[in-house]
Amino acid sequence: MSGWLLRRALQAVLVLAIALTILFFLMRASPGDPLARATEDHPISPAELAVLRARYGLDQPVSRQFVSFVAGLVRGELGVSIEYARPVTALLAERLPATLLLGGSVLVLNFTLGLWLGVRQAVRRGQREDRWLTAVSLVGYATPSFWLGLVLAWFVGIKLRLLPAAGMQDPLLSWEAGTAARALDVLRHLVLPVLTLSIVSIAATMRYQRTAMLEILQLPYMMTARAKGLPEREVIWRHGWRNALFPVITLFGLWLPILVTGSVFVEAVFAWPGLGSLAAAAVWGRDYPLLMGASLLVAGLVVAGGFLTDIAYALLDPRVRLA
Amino acid sequence: MTPWTPRLSVSAGLLLLSLAGSSAAQSSSSRRGSIVIVTGEQPTMPIPTMMEGAAGTQGNLELADQLFCRLAGLGPTLLTAGDRGFVPLLARSWTRRDSVTLAFDLDPRARWQDGVPVTARDVVFTFERARNPSIAPRLVALLRRITSVTAEGERRVVFRFSEPYAEQLYDATFHAAPLPAHLLDTIPPEGLARSSFVTHPVGSGPYRLVRTVAGQFVELAANQDFFLGRPKIGRVIIRVASDPDARINLLLSGQADAIDNVIPPLDNLHRIKRDTSLRLIPVPSPSVGFLLFNQRDPADPAAPHPVLSDLRVRRAITLGLDRHLLVHAVFGSYAEVPYGPVSSILWIRNGAPKARRQDVEEARQLLAAAGWRDSDSDGIRDRAGQRLQLSLLLPTTSAVRRKLAVLIQEQLRQIGLALELQQLEFPLWIERRTGGKFDIDFAGTIQDPSPSGLTQAWSCTGGTNVAKYCNPRVDSLLDVAIRGQPKENPGQPWFAALRQIEDDAPATFLYAPFYVYAVKRHYRNVSIMPASSWLLLREWSDSR
Repeated sequence: MSGWLLRRALQAVLVLAIALTILFFLMRASPGDPLARATEDHPISPAELAVLRARYGLDQPVSRQFVSFVAGLVRGELGVSIEYARPVTALLAERLPATLLLGGSVLVLNFTLGLWLGVRQAVRRGQREDRWLTAVSLVGYATPSFWLGLVLAWFVGIKLRLLPAAGMQDPLLSWEAGTAARALDVLRHLVLPVLTLSIVSIAATMRYQRTAMLEILQLPYMMTARAKGLPEREVIWRHGWRNALFPVITLFGLWLPILVTGSVFVEAVFAWPGLGSLAAAAVWGRDYPLLMGASLLVAGLVVAGGFLTDIAYALLDPRVRLA
Repeated sequence: MTPWTPRLSVSAGLLLLSLAGSSAAQSSSSRRGSIVIVTGEQPTMPIPTMMEGAAGTQGNLELADQLFCRLAGLGPTLLTAGDRGFVPLLARSWTRRDSVTLAFDLDPRARWQDGVPVTARDVVFTFERARNPSIAPRLVALLRRITSVTAEGERRVVFRFSEPYAEQLYDATFHAAPLPAHLLDTIPPEGLARSSFVTHPVGSGPYRLVRTVAGQFVELAANQDFFLGRPKIGRVIIRVASDPDARINLLLSGQADAIDNVIPPLDNLHRIKRDTSLRLIPVPSPSVGFLLFNQRDPADPAAPHPVLSDLRVRRAITLGLDRHLLVHAVFGSYAEVPYGPVSSILWIRNGAPKARRQDVEEARQLLAAAGWRDSDSDGIRDRAGQRLQLSLLLPTTSAVRRKLAVLIQEQLRQIGLALELQQLEFPLWIERRTGGKFDIDFAGTIQDPSPSGLTQAWSCTGGTNVAKYCNPRVDSLLDVAIRGQPKENPGQPWFAALRQIEDDAPATFLYAPFYVYAVKRHYRNVSIMPASSWLLLREWSDSR
């Protein structure tokens, strides 16, 4: 086990190093000036631009910029954002909680409600509930999340005024309101963006889980379990569902990086202060340091997704050994 | 369906309702005497002398105006020439010793937010920082005519200029609000951006910074000891939403009380108009949009542009466009067609001639005179086998320009000119335009209140003259206008320069919009300054 962990850690470092090196040079090779934003509103002269280039090290050869980047990385620094004029690590750390809250809530809903509904559909294959849920999930899956977000914000937030249309917290909520009130406030703001993202993702998970479970239900060992007189709930959830989880676990691994990258539009529509919008702004503005920081995070999540998937496989299937 | 499915649905519904039920009532009492302003840009560096490069955003400039006071402010006329159009702030008065020397007397009541008096030393210190080229390259250029800033005692500061010109007072007061020397003189200039002063600034303005919640909002509290009177609105939240729809949703859902610059499409304004609790306030804006004609061949910058170097073609394009119709289609009544590169914020707009109306017939005659004729009757003119075809460069980020470009393409087709639209991602667009790789650039700029900034783009040696337009007569006229002493009509020398620019047609000047703000009606004494939207917030009151 420890040998496996060490090997995976080394692999992860290698994957990250290759990914970041490719990204670093691709970014610099692509057209577009990282100081473009600086000239957006107030055009500046070439002389002023030269000073700014020197400030951000953009006047150096790309190879030297790469060496500086690697040296910074070793020290745990990702440089200073051109757009925000602040250390990238601080910017990422500020936005990470909002992303984890939104993405985590979606992930939890997705892999509880989605799995449960998928299993129910499979067990009731062809019945009215299955047909209804299939129709609903297909509609959900086909709905563009940014459109759904706009509709929910307008209807629930503006027309009915039931929940906040945007933002993550009420800035006027007094500090004396207490932790519970503030948590409730964040929860109220969380509902619409989570609903928007979940409706689409739950639909996908339901479809995966339904298909996987249908395959399992037809296998002979399920009949054996029933023949042994086991209660139906135990047959379904203990014997069936456990083996129908593998495709969904793979899906979970793929979903992890989407925590950051997949919610860009929803973050924009709901003014949610997460990493997605920060990363998108970095791309549009060619903010190299911020872009590298966001890429490192996403690449890290991809590696972590694969790692967690392997562990989950080993835990669920005794035939799989982490060696 | 099992019995627990409806139970689950009911529980989820109840949870939602209880969340909704705990709505804004909790904070309704804290709303009184406060205001939530929703804006598109997160302020990152609202510190005078530090707002350079990417930090030179409107969000930073406007927040800095709440935290820091200038020596004097622009008055309602926005007149930057002479000494008449300004109102006293940190300086209670100023005197002109000679044509190149201005002395300011500081208001003895002025205090930093830590209670220390504002002194002449602070002003001297600030201008030392502002004229440091490694810190503030843009400011150095703007302040190049200030030769020295010296203190005479605690309360008097003297500015000396390299030459007599009309905007000495403007240069001394507008570009850099004083910083507290007693807090900053131990921090090296290059270390200021990473110092705690940036996150916890101590200013001299009507509001102090309480907290910044990253990506969400900035909270300000009234400076109770502000020397010009305590602000009536005690708490200000500047809430950030980069998406225009999210901004409008925040306003219409009651989560915000005011919004800056409701951008087109006009449907956005119609949505807000339907809410009777809001009022719309159009304000002159520093924005101006135009079609910039490259004078040089994009393939060979040493050679003149094969088509656009001909004045007749440039004039034909301008006359071929119904600019008033274009502007109305996109901005409704909230924009005008400018005369020259003049936004609605520039005082020289007042009294300037009117822009010419569309004249398709004259446009066609000009093109024919230049040798462009439709010899193959395909609707597009040609000359010596070459079609009259040009490309229009524009950024994908501007919905206004994207919409206008399509309309312009159609109108120019009517005079036999084929326009190819090249929509580029913003950084790529900047790279192409600054490299001179374009025929026509759909430019949009934000101007300072001073017309002297026109030299940057419209003089032969202007730093941002990417189209390489050059007419020494224009340079001379601009120079006269800048150096001129304000008399009865200080705009006259500027009008002469603008007339020459219009005659040369280096661009088709399309729109000078008004920004449209929306504010809840229960705020009284509402006044929005074009140069800095919320500058007079300290005079607003809340009638709730």
